Amino acid sequence: MRCPIETEEHAETLLAYCANRLDPAQAAALERHMRSCAACRSFQEAQQTVWEALDTWEAPPVPADFDRRLYQRIEAEGYTWWQRLFQPFRPVLLRQGLPLAAAACLLVMAGIIAQRPGERRPAPAPPAVRVESVQAEQVERTLDDLELLHQFTEATGVEKHSPDSM
Amino acid sequence: MGGAAAALDYDAELMLRVKEGDGASFGLLLEKHRSAVIHFLYRMVQNHAVAEELAQEVFLRVYRSRSTYEPTAKFTTWLFRIATHLALNALRDGKNERGQESLDGSVAELPVRQISDAAPTVEQSMVYRARLEEVRRAVSLLPEKQRAAVLMHKYEEMEYSQIAKVLGCSESAVKSLLFRAYETLRARLAHMA
Ligand SMILES: [Zn+2]
Repeated sequence: MRCPIETEEHAETLLAYCANRLDPAQAAALERHMRSCAACRSFQEAQQTVWEALDTWEAPPVPADFDRRLYQRIEAEGYTWWQRLFQPFRPVLLRQGLPLAAAACLLVMAGIIAQRPGERRPAPAPPAVRVESVQAEQVERTLDDLELLHQFTEATGVEKHSPDSM
Repeated sequence: MGGAAAALDYDAELMLRVKEGDGASFGLLLEKHRSAVIHFLYRMVQNHAVAEELAQEVFLRVYRSRSTYEPTAKFTTWLFRIATHLALNALRDGKNERGQESLDGSVAELPVRQISDAAPTVEQSMVYRARLEEVRRAVSLLPEKQRAAVLMHKYEEMEYSQIAKVLGCSESAVKSLLFRAYETLRARLAHMA
């Protein structure tokens, strides 16, 4: 075989070997090559050291109350008025690329409600302000989600047309 | 490829059921992918509390996006795209600015099992901890995208093509990220041989 270090594959073959992702025939060919190639051998040894070092790094266990806390948050979100209002329009907004326009509308509306000049009450009651600011935050967060989804759909859409090589 | 296609169908099918209002399917997805997501985020930000908070956010976003979900790609690609996006944002916002936890406090409970079957001596434990600290530091010093690529390649055993979709770049860009990241790690961890 040609020396992986000297070909355009760079170290891909050697990385795959250390990750145990070469098929047996490829692995055997590389092992034969390494017996006579000091450069590949030292690369492989160094990469093996990295691989084993990374193996020692265990992640901590999942916290016992992780699911409970998640379901609590999901439940808490399920009853916000804006989500019920917004949910049916999400696919349309997504397709037509209107999330920013929707954000602007909702934020302006929230702003108007929050800053409506003092009819009846000169200073808005603290609880109402808090609720509105939380809702504005949630709108922003949802729009963030939509943006991410949109980018993702675009990215995967493009990649769908290019065949997965190798 | 058969295995990957089957996995795609199963997770995507579960997510489509979530879209139809089946909460139990969300529970199955959570059960199946929870650890991988938390572990990935922990290794990205190296802070327990931040990683947990981000993992909650990942699954919350999955749940919130159920009505618009379309199985255009593997479910895990989508999941890790959300996780990576949140991790990179958190790192940029300095959410882990309390800093990476030292091993003394955070991972003291981890089993020290690679040394021998017998209980490790104090000295062996100290050597092990020092090595672990070095590995963590070496990974944390990698640029964020390289770090994400290495973690997905090493611990999630993802193919280049899937990492590319998660990171929103080409496969050749992923190869280059991984090549540079491992080159740096080989230099930083060479003495551990
Ligand atoms: Zn060679």
